[in-house]
Amino acid sequence: MPADQLSAGIEACDCLTPFGDAPATVAALLAGRRALELTPALGRDGGDPVPLALTGPMDETLPPRWVPGLRQLASGIPAAAWGSARAPVIVTSSNFGVGSLYAFIRSHDARHLAYGTPFKSVDLLRTEFDWGEHVHVFSHACVSAHLGLAHAARLLHADLADRVLVFSFDFISPFVAGGFHSLKILNALMPMPYAVRETGSIGLGDGAAFAVLTRKAASYRIASNSLYNEMFHFTGNRPDGSGFAACMASIATAAAARRVWIKGHGTGTLEAGRLEAEAIARRFPDAPLVSWKGSLGHTLGSCGLVELAVAVAALRAGRIPGTVGGAAPSFSDTVALAPFDSAGFDGAVLASNAFGGAHAALLLTHD
Amino acid sequence: MIERFIHHLRVELPAPGETVAGARIRLADKFPRTALRRMTHLGLLVGSALDGSMLEPEDAMVYASTYSETHALEDYLMSFPQPSPSLFQASIHPSGAQQVLIGRQQPIARLWPLAGQTRLLEQALLTVLVEPARRVALVGGEECGGWMIQYNMASPRSFAFAAVVTREAAGAAGRITFTPAMQADDACPSLEEFTQALAERGSLTWHGGGGLWRLEWS
Repeated sequence: MPADQLSAGIEACDCLTPFGDAPATVAALLAGRRALELTPALGRDGGDPVPLALTGPMDETLPPRWVPGLRQLASGIPAAAWGSARAPVIVTSSNFGVGSLYAFIRSHDARHLAYGTPFKSVDLLRTEFDWGEHVHVFSHACVSAHLGLAHAARLLHADLADRVLVFSFDFISPFVAGGFHSLKILNALMPMPYAVRETGSIGLGDGAAFAVLTRKAASYRIASNSLYNEMFHFTGNRPDGSGFAACMASIATAAAARRVWIKGHGTGTLEAGRLEAEAIARRFPDAPLVSWKGSLGHTLGSCGLVELAVAVAALRAGRIPGTVGGAAPSFSDTVALAPFDSAGFDGAVLASNAFGGAHAALLLTHD
Repeated sequence: MIERFIHHLRVELPAPGETVAGARIRLADKFPRTALRRMTHLGLLVGSALDGSMLEPEDAMVYASTYSETHALEDYLMSFPQPSPSLFQASIHPSGAQQVLIGRQQPIARLWPLAGQTRLLEQALLTVLVEPARRVALVGGEECGGWMIQYNMASPRSFAFAAVVTREAAGAAGRITFTPAMQADDACPSLEEFTQALAERGSLTWHGGGGLWRLEWS
């Protein structure tokens, strides 16, 4: 199935990770630093140590730590009548403020409930940032941000909007870390994306980001978006890798005339990592493949936008961070463990995957 | 004016007080037995609403729910300090739609799960209008919550709908139109009001999202 080829300019974008904003995150990744640290899965309630990359203590506070974090991030958003019909906001997240529900259950303090559901947390953002009512909310686990970006491009091309603010956040809580730990994909090992090893592991991380998309000319553009849903299993992919292949085939067509590098999903799981690396290597045999989740952890529903902001900042810096935490041998010879110069490339494919066998990829182009 | 036509249409308005166990009995013939056991109330209602709709891998789905899988969420929270993996998985939006599609082993090109509240219906319809797939399943619903209702964090009623929306007028039961026009927004019908209108073949008209919306019937 064809990818959307609806080019949208990136007027502004930035992210928030435990390292700071996008330039600070790129600098840390280029230096090979890991934000992940072994932390009890249930915070102050204990639990097994698991790799988490946090912007502050995981246990929910009042207000939760994502509120000041998002204030800091939002201070960089260009001014506009955001949330109006012609300048809508698209908020994407997998978990929103769900950690506050866990805090309520633990403490019985009803003040936590003001943050705990998708609509309450988005209403809070609307009030905090003076957004109007036209705030679309997409939640499709770890491809959520890609949906926001793809939908924004469609609204722009249908002339249903002049500019679109895509805003994404996911902050780790015992609710989330406990859930992933119960699924046995979060353990005491640091993630090694695409590495051939005996036991796979992932890390989870706090992340938030925004992008302002426009029809106007811009130095950086999202030229194409590809989406596909396997619907094979809740937590597994088709063993033949056909889901990865379908998504990559569409974006490869869009990227055919370009020399690209690839930022994969690369959480550190073995089966999905192998299927992804093999599918990418088949479609892009000459393109270096990197993952940054071995440092930042998996920022869940925000990962597509966080990693877009990191990619743009890396292009501005002229150096692309390698696969921090990775090691040879890898599932593919194309995996780049070390940083490399962006000169000679005129595009990047950024991919994410999610529960339900959901696949997403976008083509980032630049002058 | 942008218009889309409603073809397959099915609404689920279960009796007040229907439990997930009751829904499993009432709707047992619509689902594989192995899937039925694990499905949530919302998943069952959505699956029943989609019953008879033939989706293809090139099709798309727009799925709207403000509260999503409330009981799975409530029960998952109560499962700590030994969190349940199955309840964690089931509590994540858009589990209701995924339960049905995975049960059918039905790949689709694009799934657009919306999770807002204010103007949710309008945003779901906008998502349908800009989706290029030949057939778009417009699906929505809620399950009646448990303890979260008292905190206004869950739906007090269960309902679901599914409509297959295309660009083909022939044989359509109804149509949705959007005429761009800058005018002050009216209140947007809720997901539940839209479901009721679908059930009764009732018309809706309102301004919002930069245009005039109409739901009309053949």
